[in-house]
Amino acid sequence: MKTDKLVKTTKERITDILFYVYRIIIILLLITLCIPAINPANVSELINDNMSLFTSGIDYASLTAGIIRAVTLGWVQESSFVIIFISCMVIIFSYAGIAVNACMSLGSLKMRRLGNIVALISSVTGLAGMGGIYQAYVQLCETSKPEKVGPHFPFGFIVIVGALLIILVFSLLLLMLQPKPDADDVYELKQKYKLFLLLSPFILLTFVFSYLQLWGWRYAFYDYNAGDTLSKDNFVGFKWFTYLFQNSATRSDIVRVIRNTMAMSGLGIATSWCAMAFAIFLCEIKSLRIRRFIQTCTTIPNFISWVMVYSFAFVLFSSEGLVSNLIVRNGGTAVNFLMNGDHIWLKMLLWGMWKGIGWSAIIYIAGISGIDQQLYEAATVDGAGRFQRMWHITVPGLLPTFLVLLLMQIAGILSNGLDQYLVFRNPNNASGIEVLDLYVYRLGIGSGVIPLSTVVGMCKSLISVALLLVANRASKMIRGNSIV
Amino acid sequence: MEINSAKKLKKLEGMSSTPKYRTRMSDIVFEIVNHTFFLVFALACIFPFYYLFINTISDNELVRIGAITLIPKGIHFRNYLSLTNVNDLGQAFKISILRTIIGTALMVGSTALVGFLVTKQEMWGRSIWYRFMVITMYFNAGLIPWYLNMSMLGLTDNFLGYIIPGIVAPYNIILVKTYIESIPAELEESAYIDGATYMTVFRKIIWPLSKPILATIAIFGAVGNWNSFQDSLILMQNDASLHTLQHRLWTYLNEANNLAAMMQGANGQLSASQQAQLLDSKTIKYTVSMVTVLPIMFVYPFMQRYFEKGIMLGAVKG
Repeated sequence: MKTDKLVKTTKERITDILFYVYRIIIILLLITLCIPAINPANVSELINDNMSLFTSGIDYASLTAGIIRAVTLGWVQESSFVIIFISCMVIIFSYAGIAVNACMSLGSLKMRRLGNIVALISSVTGLAGMGGIYQAYVQLCETSKPEKVGPHFPFGFIVIVGALLIILVFSLLLLMLQPKPDADDVYELKQKYKLFLLLSPFILLTFVFSYLQLWGWRYAFYDYNAGDTLSKDNFVGFKWFTYLFQNSATRSDIVRVIRNTMAMSGLGIATSWCAMAFAIFLCEIKSLRIRRFIQTCTTIPNFISWVMVYSFAFVLFSSEGLVSNLIVRNGGTAVNFLMNGDHIWLKMLLWGMWKGIGWSAIIYIAGISGIDQQLYEAATVDGAGRFQRMWHITVPGLLPTFLVLLLMQIAGILSNGLDQYLVFRNPNNASGIEVLDLYVYRLGIGSGVIPLSTVVGMCKSLISVALLLVANRASKMIRGNSIV
Repeated sequence: MEINSAKKLKKLEGMSSTPKYRTRMSDIVFEIVNHTFFLVFALACIFPFYYLFINTISDNELVRIGAITLIPKGIHFRNYLSLTNVNDLGQAFKISILRTIIGTALMVGSTALVGFLVTKQEMWGRSIWYRFMVITMYFNAGLIPWYLNMSMLGLTDNFLGYIIPGIVAPYNIILVKTYIESIPAELEESAYIDGATYMTVFRKIIWPLSKPILATIAIFGAVGNWNSFQDSLILMQNDASLHTLQHRLWTYLNEANNLAAMMQGANGQLSASQQAQLLDSKTIKYTVSMVTVLPIMFVYPFMQRYFEKGIMLGAVKG
C-alpha cells in the first residue's frame, strides 16, 4: 500500500466513515437472515411465522408445509411458492456476495474495489430476488379466498429492500470516491485482518450459540404458547415475575425446589473435603501397583453417563436386581429400592460420590506429589506421626486447591445439572428429587409453560453469575489471584 | 558438656525407641484398614460393570430367576447377536457413533485452529475476541432460551444440532492456547522468515507439536459426545430416528420401570403378557447397557495416559 500518508484528505476520511457504516449495515443484514420476525418471504398466513429467510431459502418442505390444502382446493398456485423459494435462494446467494465484500473491504485498494463491484452485483441480484417475492405476493393477492390465504405485506420486505438499496448506493459511492489503484497494486489483506477473518467464523458461532440465547429472555415478558408469535398483544411486562410469588401453587413449588437444590448442593459442599481425604489416604498406600489399580477402578465411573449409572442402579437395586434376588433367595419378597423416596438426598449424594470421588481426587493426588518431600522428612525427624504429618503438611499444602474448588462449587450452588435427577426421578421420589434444573425442564419442555420457566431460568442464571463474581472476589481476597 | 550431650543423645534415643514400637503396631492396623477400605471401594466401583457383564453372557433362564450372583453360568453370546433384532437400536448406535466421530473431529480441528489464532498478538482485536469466546463458559441463558434458540436456528430434529454447537469449546480453547504458548516461539518465527503463511505454520509446526494436548481434548470430547443425553432428549423430541444410544437406553429402562411400578401397584397382579414382556426385556436391557458402556471401557486405558495431564492443565488458569 503506497497511500499510507500521515494526513488524510477529506475524501479519504469520508471513505473511511462510509466503510464503517457500510460494514455495520452488512453485519446487521446478515443477522436478519436468521430472524423470523424480519423474514421478507413471509407474505402469507400459510407460511409459518417462525421461519427465517435462511430456512425459507434452503428448506422447501418446511416453506410449503402449510399450503397443501390451499393448493388442492385451488386457492393458490404452487408456482407462487416455488417463486418465493427460488427468490429466497437468490437472496441468500447475494448475501454471501455481500459478506465476501465485507471481508474484502479490509484489504488493499485493489481488493476493496473488487469487493465493491461484487457488492454492487450482489445487491442488484438481491433486489431482483426481492422483486420475485413481490411478484409472488401479487399472485397471492389475487386468490379467491383472501381470508384463508391471508396475504400480507411483510415488514421485513421494506427493511431488506432498504438495506440492499443502501448497500447498492454505498458501493457506487465508494467506487467513485476511492482513487484508482496503481498498476502494481496487488490483492492483499493486512496480516491483522487476515488473522481476524480466519477467526471470524468461530466468533460468529460463539455469538449464535452462546449470546443469541440471551435474546430468548424476551419470552419472559410475553404471554407465549408454543407456535405463537411475539407481538404487542401478548406483551405482559413483569406479570410472570410477580406470578412466581403471588400464585400460591407455584410459590410452594419454587420453595420446595429451592430447598431440594440447596440441600443437594449443600450436601455436596459439606462433603467436598472427602475427595481430599481420599487422595491423602490413597497416597499412604506405598505399593504403586495397588495404588494404580485403585485409581483405575475408582476413576472409571466418572466416564460413564448418568443413564448408565441409572442402569447400574437398576441392575442392582430394582425389584429384579441383585439385592432383590438375594432377598428372594433368603425367603423374602422383592423390593424395588429405586421406587422408594426416603432419604433421596442422601442417595443422590452417594451416587454422586460413587461416580465422582475418584476423579476429583486426581487433582489432589497431583497436588500431593508436588509437596516438597523434605518437609515430611523434617517432620519425621521432629517426631511427627503419620496423622500429624497429614494434618500439618499435606492438608495445608492442598488447601489452596481445595479453596478454589470449594468457591467454584459455591458459585455453582444452583446448578446441580439435569441428568442425574432426571434419570432417577419417579413418582415416589419426585417431590424430593426435583432440583431447579429439573423443575425448569419439566415446566418448560414437559408442560410447555415457556414464559414461567424462562423467568425461573433467567433468575437462576443471573444469581449464578453474581455468585461467581462474589466467589472470584473472595478468591482474590483470600489467595491474591482470581479464579475466572 | 560431655555428660550433657550424652544425656541428650540418650533422651533422643529413648524418645525415638519407645514410640517406635507403638507406631509400628498402629501402622499395621492403619495399613490394614486403609488397604481394606480402598480395595472395597475399588471393587464397589467396578462390580456393577462386572455384574452387568456376567448377566449378559449367562444363561437367560438363570438370569430370569435371578440365579446369577458372582459367577457366570451357561456362558453364551447370543444376547449380543440378538440385539440386531431390537428395533431402532442399530439406528441409535449409528447416530451415537456418527456424532462422536464427526463432532469430535470438528471440535478438535477448530479448537486447534482457534487456539493457534488467539496466540497471535498481531490479530485485530485479539484479546477482545478471545474473551468474547472464553467468557461464555461462565454464563448461559438457561435451558428454555437455549432450546428456543436452537429451534429458531432449525437445529431441532436435525442431526446438525449435535454437531455445530460443539464446534467452539471454550475450555478446550484455553487448554490448547496455553499449550501452544509453551512451544518455543523461535520455531514459528523462523518459518515466517522463510516465507511461510499462517496456515502453513499451523499445519506443519503447531499441529504436529500440539498432538499431546489435542489427543487429550479429543478423548474427552469423544467421551462427552458418546455420553451426552440431554441434547438428544430435548432437541430431538419429534424424531426418534435421531435419538442417541444413551437416550434409547433410558427409554428401555423407563419402560421396564413403568411395568415394574404397575406390578408393584397391582400387588403382582400383572397379566401374563405383561410379565413376559418384563422378563424378556431384562436381558435386552442389560445387553444394551453393556453395549453402551463398552466403548468407554475400550478407550479408558488410552484415556488414563492423558487425563491426569488434562485435569492438571485445567487447574491452572488459561
